[in-house]
Amino acid sequence: MTLTTKKNLIAALGGLFLVSLVLVQWREVQRREHEAGRGEAAIPVPASSQACVDCHGKGTPGIVAHWTGSTHAEKGVGCVDCHQAEKGDADGFEHYGAHIATIVTPLDCSRCHKTEYEEFAHSHHAQGGKILASLDNFLAETVEGHRAPFNPHSPTPGMEVTQVNGMASAFSGCQQCHGSKVGFQSTDGGVITLDDLKPGPDGKPTVPEAVERIKKDGTGRPLFHASTWPNTGIGRLNLDGSKGSCSACHSRHDFSPRRARQPENCGKCHLGPDHPQEEIYNESKHGVAFRDLREKMNLDAKEWVLGKDYSAAPTCATCHMSGHMQNGGKVTHDPGERISWTNRPPISRRMDTDENHAIVTETDPAKRRALIKDTSEEKRTRMKQVCNHCHTPDYVNAFYQQYDDLVVLYNEKFAKPGQKIMDTILKQGLRTKTEFDEEIEWTWFYLWHHEGRRARHGASMMAPDYTHWHGMFEVAERFYIHLIPQAREIAHKATEGGKADAGKAVDAVIDEILARPEHKWFSEGAEGQMDQIRKAMEQRYGKPGGAP
Amino acid sequence: MSMLIGWLKERIPVSGDRLREMTNEPVPNHLRRWWFCLGGTPAYLFVVQVVTGILLAFYYQPSSRTAYESVRYITEEAAFGWYLRGVHKWAATLMIAAVILHQMRVYFTGAYRKPREINWMVGMCLLVCTLMTGFTGYSLVFEQLSYWGATVGANITENVPVFGTLMKRMLLGGDTYNANTLSRFFILHAAVLPVTIVLLLGVHITLIRLQGVTELEFEDQEPGEQKHFNFFPDHFLTELMIGLVLMILLSVLATALPAEMGPKADPMSTPEVIKPEWFFYVTFRWLKLFSETTAILSMGFIAFLMFIWPLVDGAIRKRWKGSEASVWVGLFAVIAIVGLTVWEAFVAH
Repeated sequence: MTLTTKKNLIAALGGLFLVSLVLVQWREVQRREHEAGRGEAAIPVPASSQACVDCHGKGTPGIVAHWTGSTHAEKGVGCVDCHQAEKGDADGFEHYGAHIATIVTPLDCSRCHKTEYEEFAHSHHAQGGKILASLDNFLAETVEGHRAPFNPHSPTPGMEVTQVNGMASAFSGCQQCHGSKVGFQSTDGGVITLDDLKPGPDGKPTVPEAVERIKKDGTGRPLFHASTWPNTGIGRLNLDGSKGSCSACHSRHDFSPRRARQPENCGKCHLGPDHPQEEIYNESKHGVAFRDLREKMNLDAKEWVLGKDYSAAPTCATCHMSGHMQNGGKVTHDPGERISWTNRPPISRRMDTDENHAIVTETDPAKRRALIKDTSEEKRTRMKQVCNHCHTPDYVNAFYQQYDDLVVLYNEKFAKPGQKIMDTILKQGLRTKTEFDEEIEWTWFYLWHHEGRRARHGASMMAPDYTHWHGMFEVAERFYIHLIPQAREIAHKATEGGKADAGKAVDAVIDEILARPEHKWFSEGAEGQMDQIRKAMEQRYGKPGGAP
Repeated sequence: MSMLIGWLKERIPVSGDRLREMTNEPVPNHLRRWWFCLGGTPAYLFVVQVVTGILLAFYYQPSSRTAYESVRYITEEAAFGWYLRGVHKWAATLMIAAVILHQMRVYFTGAYRKPREINWMVGMCLLVCTLMTGFTGYSLVFEQLSYWGATVGANITENVPVFGTLMKRMLLGGDTYNANTLSRFFILHAAVLPVTIVLLLGVHITLIRLQGVTELEFEDQEPGEQKHFNFFPDHFLTELMIGLVLMILLSVLATALPAEMGPKADPMSTPEVIKPEWFFYVTFRWLKLFSETTAILSMGFIAFLMFIWPLVDGAIRKRWKGSEASVWVGLFAVIAIVGLTVWEAFVAH
């Protein structure tokens, strides 16, 4: 090769090198624009959703931005793919050439996520909307509010209040977690729900007359009733007959798996005086480890398998739903699959469930065995598989012994006796069938619904303060200092009021309970027991100031 | 201007002719073929590594609390940080590949033979230093694989008879990976090893200049053809061409296949699959084939044999005149190295 050829080649290569540096500069400019939020979306917008993105990018840029950062966007799942409606759907309407629906229900999600849909449909989460006829709902709709609009007490300066919505507490409180019964405004002023539409298995309404009554705006869009929408309650009763809302955990429109894996996500609903699971978790060593090691949780991992993708700490999702090394990484959308006690009712029950995933309440052993399809022990074994990633089997078994002991103690010492006293008072006609109109009903509700649950949940997730001070201590106080005296007072008043037999019956139940060894300290004193406790302590730790 | 040149000549008494003579040593004709110029490639890439390494060191913070975050900052936030890191990573890969190819060329052309035995040994030391620099550099990222790669590497060192424990302690700054380990790796990677490489390169090049480049003859060479050509500008332009091709290649690789971030190192969570960098695949596979002590001792023996190969080859050729044993040994070694590397690359464990 001649020198001239070499020089020409070097000139050409030098030019190419400069071109490569221009490429580098172009990448840097792109990176900076992306960093500044000015860059073009790094994802391709599906053709069917281009018009949605163009228009909503201006009108509701937050929605588009959330979607842009989602796995859906990365995989080419656009707006229309989820929001599409079929002809005949009660909530479908024409929107700039596309037939869509506002609410994306679990049935819609099942077009792609069939397994998740089926698991969720069997879960207790999906049944969350059943609260709509429960004691809690009575509290919100009657005790706290009123089931019909009523006149204001007095004028509100600066706001014209003509009527008070008595259901406001239920709508903004209970139903935002448990789920509303989604409804349209009706042309006759009422609400049209799935009860009116009677959807078939395909989710389409079977009552045309109800569909005709749906009120629509000028563009033909059906109008939702503000008392039922917006709502992302976990057990929402949808117009197509499906239950729940996937966005309860997987917030729309980014559907972030990362967020669903973090305890704060569950804490939207699982907190507060009656079921402080988030606070309990935060107090536990699991929660402490999570806060400390959050950056080691690999929360963005594709599959997020415990033992493979992370091991730093467990979150709610880890124990109750996520995949792990011992189950081949299988995720479940039924959190009840690994729970062995239900601590929701006044008296805790074992989670032996039937073919419909409902708890078996049959007490006859043979009949019970025949009904049970998934035992509480099988559920517990599934949970133990999670525990075993970080704890030895002996440790896990001993923990479950401690948990069982606490639940049984609560059940046998306070819940069952308390329930018996309440049932006897009702049976003897000494309290009305209406709940919460008498003091003892509030007392009992506090005992099991707030304090009793705190104690049991505290033990289930290793939060000692919730088990004891926020739990059993307050249960005991509520039982001995409030429930028993109030029941005695009811019995006394009954005797004085000419219902001596009823009063005696209540007293007899209380006497029988208090005569049991575990309650004797209350009726007979416990000086001797204090001495025994002191002696045991001195034997273990030595006398104060002295040698052991 | 002439005053300035005169002022400089008084203080630096090197004449232009002398300088031309020093830099313009005749170069053997075979170096007109570019594939014989690979010896200059690692040196060129080394310069790239020094420059990009200094720029990366402006941001890098060598402690287990900050290392990963600083690398993430370089990769995602610092201006042109992704490019510098990409060039540094790819230049390291190409440098190791170029060193291996250069060594193979020297081996198969017999350029290590008398009187160049010592320069072969210097080259071997350069190879070891290059691999060590690659190992320590990979560990500095402090991501899961690099952390566990370093841990496994240190544990392997421990199996060296007699000195193993001491070597591991020297490498990690303690019995296990600890707060001092990363700063130790950093000093080795950014100071000790580069300075050692510079010194060894100095010796390497000086010996080449003193002994001259091994002259090779080819069958297609004309009988009366001139045997040498000028270093400057002829050979210099060839090296410049290779340098420009390398820079273009590095820019394209850094842009098209940028250095990415794996998950941060977690000492409590061992990854299911631990892999070192590709250039250690051969040793990693070797370790899996035998018990640790056998593997370590055999690897040590092979390395020692490579180091003294010019003397062994000399003895063989003295005993059997015209022996081509080195070619067959070399072929076997190349097949074994490529085979073990590919094997390790295609299996998880």
